[in-house]
Amino acid sequence: MGTEHIRNFSIVAHIDHGKSTLADRLLDLTGAVDEREKMDQLLDSMDIERERGITIKASAVTMYHEFQGIRYMLNLIDTPGHVDFHYEVSRALAACEGALLVVDASQGVEAQTVANAYLAVETHNEILPVINKVDLPAAQPDLVAEEIEHIFGISKNHCFQISAKSGLGVADLLEGIITLLPPPKDRSIEPTAALIFDSHCDEYRGVICYVRVFAGSLRTRTKIRLMGSGRTYMVTELGKFMPEMTPVAELGCGEVGYVIANIRQLADVTIGDTITEDSRPAVKALPGYQPPMQMVFSDFYPGNNTDYPKLRAAFEKLTLNDASFSFTPQSSPALGFGFRCGFLGLLHMEIIQERLERENDIDVVQTAPTVSYEVVTTDGVARRIDSPSELPDRTKIEELWEPFVRLEILTGTDTIGGIMKLAEQRRCQMIKTDYLGPTRVMFEYKAPLAEIVYDFYDQLKGISHGYATMDYEFIGFEASDLVKIDILVNKQPVDALSLIIHRSVAETRGRRVLVRLRQAIPRHQFDVPLQVAVGGKIIARETIKAYRKDVTAKLYGGDVTRKMKVLKKQKEGKKRMKSIGQVQIPQEAFMSILDSSDN
Amino acid sequence: MNVSSPVSLYVHIPFCSRRCRYCAFASEPMDLHDPKPVIDALIQEAARYDLGSTIQTIYIGGGSPTSLPEKLLFGLIEYLAYICYDVSEFTVEANPGQVNEPILKSLYSLGVNRLSIGVQSFNWKELELLGRQHTAVDVAKSVYAARTVGFTNISLDLISAIPESGIKDFEHSLLCATDLDVEHISVYSLSYEDGTSMKEMLDSGRIQAVDEETDRAMYEMAIEVLEQAGLRQYEISNFAVPGLECAHNLTYWANRSWIGVGPSAASWYQGKRTVNVADVRDYVRRIQEGNDPTLEVQNPTLLERACETAVLNLRRRVGIDLSEFQQQTGFDALNLFAESIQNHVSNGFLEITDKSVRLTCKALPIADQILCDFSTL
Ligand SMILES: Nc1nc2c(ncn2[C@@H]2O[C@H](COP(=O)(O)OP(=O)(O)OP(=O)(O)O)[C@@H](O)[C@H]2O)c(=O)[nH]1
Ligand code: SF4
Ligand SMILES: [Mg+2]
Repeated sequence: MGTEHIRNFSIVAHIDHGKSTLADRLLDLTGAVDEREKMDQLLDSMDIERERGITIKASAVTMYHEFQGIRYMLNLIDTPGHVDFHYEVSRALAACEGALLVVDASQGVEAQTVANAYLAVETHNEILPVINKVDLPAAQPDLVAEEIEHIFGISKNHCFQISAKSGLGVADLLEGIITLLPPPKDRSIEPTAALIFDSHCDEYRGVICYVRVFAGSLRTRTKIRLMGSGRTYMVTELGKFMPEMTPVAELGCGEVGYVIANIRQLADVTIGDTITEDSRPAVKALPGYQPPMQMVFSDFYPGNNTDYPKLRAAFEKLTLNDASFSFTPQSSPALGFGFRCGFLGLLHMEIIQERLERENDIDVVQTAPTVSYEVVTTDGVARRIDSPSELPDRTKIEELWEPFVRLEILTGTDTIGGIMKLAEQRRCQMIKTDYLGPTRVMFEYKAPLAEIVYDFYDQLKGISHGYATMDYEFIGFEASDLVKIDILVNKQPVDALSLIIHRSVAETRGRRVLVRLRQAIPRHQFDVPLQVAVGGKIIARETIKAYRKDVTAKLYGGDVTRKMKVLKKQKEGKKRMKSIGQVQIPQEAFMSILDSSDN
Repeated sequence: MNVSSPVSLYVHIPFCSRRCRYCAFASEPMDLHDPKPVIDALIQEAARYDLGSTIQTIYIGGGSPTSLPEKLLFGLIEYLAYICYDVSEFTVEANPGQVNEPILKSLYSLGVNRLSIGVQSFNWKELELLGRQHTAVDVAKSVYAARTVGFTNISLDLISAIPESGIKDFEHSLLCATDLDVEHISVYSLSYEDGTSMKEMLDSGRIQAVDEETDRAMYEMAIEVLEQAGLRQYEISNFAVPGLECAHNLTYWANRSWIGVGPSAASWYQGKRTVNVADVRDYVRRIQEGNDPTLEVQNPTLLERACETAVLNLRRRVGIDLSEFQQQTGFDALNLFAESIQNHVSNGFLEITDKSVRLTCKALPIADQILCDFSTL
């Protein structure tokens, strides 16, 4: 098959605008899925994806469709919408010539719509704008088409109007994919160059690389070379996602599929690397990717110290299938041995946490997530730290640098005031404002990552009645006037409760942290004093009063079962806690220090 | 059905003349039911067991046994005394105001040798708030009448931490109770059970719970005043003249087997914990149709039994008797609970003697904080 009958495209959009549902309809129309195997969001095959109703990992699928008597091969990549998994979108786009930019007809253009559209342009993808959910009573497809025209400069007449749910307009779109998107360039005579755009690890077969062939072709039982690492492997299986993995003898130029070649570990493959033929290598590797950047870090400690090896084994297993998560051994004077873990964002952290809990029976105590900082010490040395506890002594610090991002917020004009106030409180500097229409506005800010990564989005949603959306992108580290807040529990400093914060708000925040901790740490059989120090000086104290009375007055025969349950629960409550000296600190306490709200 | 091990029999009378505000027991107003079929069912249920040879204590509680028509109550007692021929302690719960000398005389002559009188308080305001229907004078009259007919083992129940009352009010009740020179007193801190009108009053803010500090002070005062009066504390909430501890309740805290009959009654025998249906009509129907009245059945594992035994034993002032525990559960308590014991010994909440582990005085007011560590391994 020549490349002129191939179309490679990804589906990109803001969260929940209907990408995976549209993929379902395209699979229906092309007859790729058996009637019996049909289900909603078929490509969201991971358990957590199905439970949460979101896409986390991009999936590729090959379909065939006949149009005007010619059979076309269509390779579709469904992508996640959440900002944490942005890198999955850029990887997918680099493997395609076209992108369906899906926009919810009732929500309009949102922050990730803009971000993903820019990514598509950067990667030279032809964009087909698709206005979805036109069946909704609140749909305003014409208004949304105007928005698209205004923001992206694509004529509103070129927008497809569909309902991925009912299938309305999807046949026209399918025709559009064939007639409007360009085919891959035919470079079949050149030496083989295939881009690894994703991978996953199978327990039995080892690493499965997702590839897009840009030049030449791949055949089974040939020796391939990974151009980045220089390592060579023998291809044992090639195939396509239909959507199950289906072996083929050859992946021709322009095609998308998978390669299995006896590669043991995910770490042996760099996403973005180029596969070439060992005997006739390509001259130049394909442009690769920037590795995804870890935005937040958090320490995990086993509730029970003897579980340390178990926790390590659990993390090792998790990295097998998620190379964007990392863990390194870590020890804290207060909490003992544990691991520092790096995540792409809070959703990513939540997902790893859930996996850990689900697949392992370990009680884990996790510290509040933090961003990384750069510290320049008085001896002129600069280094990266991923935890406030790693901060050197105050007298040795010359400068502290924190990460900044370019923050984009899309909102209605009626909430501008509230959002500008929030941005100001969070030390955001306005870069520009852009009116997208009479009722919609887009702000661009330069913002400290630490201020927006935790609860900013919730606050934004609150202020805008759920309407505003945001997206951010790392720009670099810059010096800031930061100080460390230290907490003493029962007179002992607890490093895992420390916080790095801007000097201007340190005192207020310090006091607030203390109140939160007083609420989160349970009472003990003795008084527990809490103190907070800013820059080494104690600024406030609180006391958690001891239990004075806690005893069941009546316990006779009939109450035994019920009482045992209550006592077990009481004991259970002590489990996800870490003891520091004689004091039990629960999981919530570690998280509570991030809560910057007023009450 | 043949049982060899149960040593105690509990009989639940599911009626009261009116519900007290704090009460969550399975009990219904007497006037809504004909009590006769219910008592017949109780007797039928008891008859299913071979109780004669092993039962050493009987306890008729409720509800209010003394709210029953005399004939029915006496008939029930007569039957139980007849089938259980080796009983050393036979208790009936009596409400002040529901008993007089002739009734008490009959009870005594039928074999009842212990009375448990539900006093709760000697302050009329508190009694009113609790929804009790008797006065302090009724209590004194009942106790004197019981003495006159020959009772030498009388217990009174008191409630502490009643809303709006202070430490002085509670002291008054304690002193009135000790003045009556009874052999046994139980003191319970008021608990707000779901579904009671007391809980509703608390939730709606019409009453305020006594603060924790006062609650504790009342408890400590009870221990002091009662011990002074010669009533030794033998369990978290129970005090008795040495030798007259309630043998029936000691069965529970020793985690030995017992049988309960009547709606909502629980049993613990042959390794099973069962609970009867609480609904009176349902209960009667099941018994009449020859069916099993139990609703829940649990078979605790050996380890769960050991945990239950430890928790129950620790409520006694003598604590866990190490050899008794070993014999009963097959485990060495010091070994099984090594971590918790070590922890709480160092905190000063547990003490180990050569043959027991027990709570220290300092641990009593916060006992659940310690007991919970024994509830599972
Ligand atoms: N009414 C209506 N609902 C739709 C339509 N398309 C999708 N939905 C619903 O929108 C929700 C989100 O759909 P998904 O297909 O999971 O969206 P997504 O863009 O893949 O979401 P992420 O992968 O999490 O970013 C689901 O509840 C769908 O049923 C449509 O055309 N009409
Ligand atoms: S008398 Fe006893 S059982 Fe009856 S309602 Fe009052 S407290 Fe409850
Ligand atoms: Mg999706």
